Amino acid sequence: MTDAPRTMSRRQLIRHSAWFGAAVGLAVAGGEVISHVAGTAEAKQGLARPTLRFAQVSDSHIGFSGKANPDVAGSFSQAIGQINNLGYAPDFVIHTGDLTHLATPDQFDQVKQMMTGLRTPHVFTVPGEHDSVDDAGQKYRGVFGAGTRGDGWYSFDITGVHVIALVNTLNLKKLGHLGVEQLEFIAKDVAALSDDTPIIVFSHIPLFAMYPDWGWGTDDATQALSYLRRFSSVTCLNGHVHQVFSKTEGNVTFYSGTTTAYPLPHPGDGPAPKPVTLPAGRLHDALGIREVSYIRGQNALALKERTLQ
Amino acid sequence: MTFAEAITRIGIAAGMAVSGISHAYLYMHGYQHIPTIGAAFMLQASVSFAVAVLILIGGPEWLQWAAAMVAGGALIAFVLSRTVGLFGFSERGWQPSPHAAVSVVAELLTVGLWAACLVGRRRAAARA
Repeated sequence: MTDAPRTMSRRQLIRHSAWFGAAVGLAVAGGEVISHVAGTAEAKQGLARPTLRFAQVSDSHIGFSGKANPDVAGSFSQAIGQINNLGYAPDFVIHTGDLTHLATPDQFDQVKQMMTGLRTPHVFTVPGEHDSVDDAGQKYRGVFGAGTRGDGWYSFDITGVHVIALVNTLNLKKLGHLGVEQLEFIAKDVAALSDDTPIIVFSHIPLFAMYPDWGWGTDDATQALSYLRRFSSVTCLNGHVHQVFSKTEGNVTFYSGTTTAYPLPHPGDGPAPKPVTLPAGRLHDALGIREVSYIRGQNALALKERTLQ
Repeated sequence: MTFAEAITRIGIAAGMAVSGISHAYLYMHGYQHIPTIGAAFMLQASVSFAVAVLILIGGPEWLQWAAAMVAGGALIAFVLSRTVGLFGFSERGWQPSPHAAVSVVAELLTVGLWAACLVGRRRAAARA
């Protein structure tokens, strides 16, 4: 063996350093160009203000009492305060279900009262399975069902965007379920819309198979989504899973939102989705709200996840 | 530089550039809004462009290692995003089409050429 240790002369070191510096410099310059082009394209389409801005809260579970969060009402109040301090009034706020923990009249009354503190022109909701534990959603509809159809579903148009709010928490077996009547509603609801109409869909349980073993999916969502395939921009927002997750399937992007109450485990992490008790001081990192904005002409909605402060 | 080395260099640079263009396109068309993934796409694109240019103009061998690592990392991220998820993000199959397939082919080309180049160099060193 005659291998001598390889050494680098000063000249070689300087040369390699120069190449490394060039790599870093070019990468930074490239990043600047890409972000500038992306930013310019957005600015051209939207100028200063987005066409639509709204906030999503989910799974407040008012009435829950446990170690995972001994004060869910306090957390929800903080979420409301955070929305009220975004620096602008969102066009609306959507609560994607499990407003209450056990669907008692007191819990509905409390959450309704709390949500009147939101500084926004409109508050929309969809029910979670906790909002219909004993009456197939009758109490929920009594409080939040005004203007809805069927078991509480509805749609509306705002600034050129078509919004559909679905109920997939009634008639639960293992997975979420929409049912024939609601599927017909969706088909008719979008029939007259042009293909370039941006579509936003709210539901409590995900419309994609996030983790079917835990019921984190909707058994007839494929049928519902088939009516939306022709649209260039479809965004589905849901709660239920108490954690941020996103997925794209063709023209449809799914975003699961987090909770204001307590975290659940990641899919498959443990035998069942039971409330997770985090170390002291860590809870608020797992809770949060979501800001969503839409700029006319863009296919994708812009999302900002904000942890509870 | 031999003809084979020049071809390898051009191939690796082309692979990196194509992968970078795909990621940059997706970043500009919506991915910038996906938490963490957006930033990762921009980083991948900008580093890919930089490495591609420097390899093309005759940069040292370690740039090819860097190219292989960037391409390999992108391939691993692709697999994770189709299986267990990546930073809470997942995608299905070859969506978004055709960018997913184009990127994967370009990255496989990059890693393959780098591996072939490495083997060639080692064999040449062994003969010397």
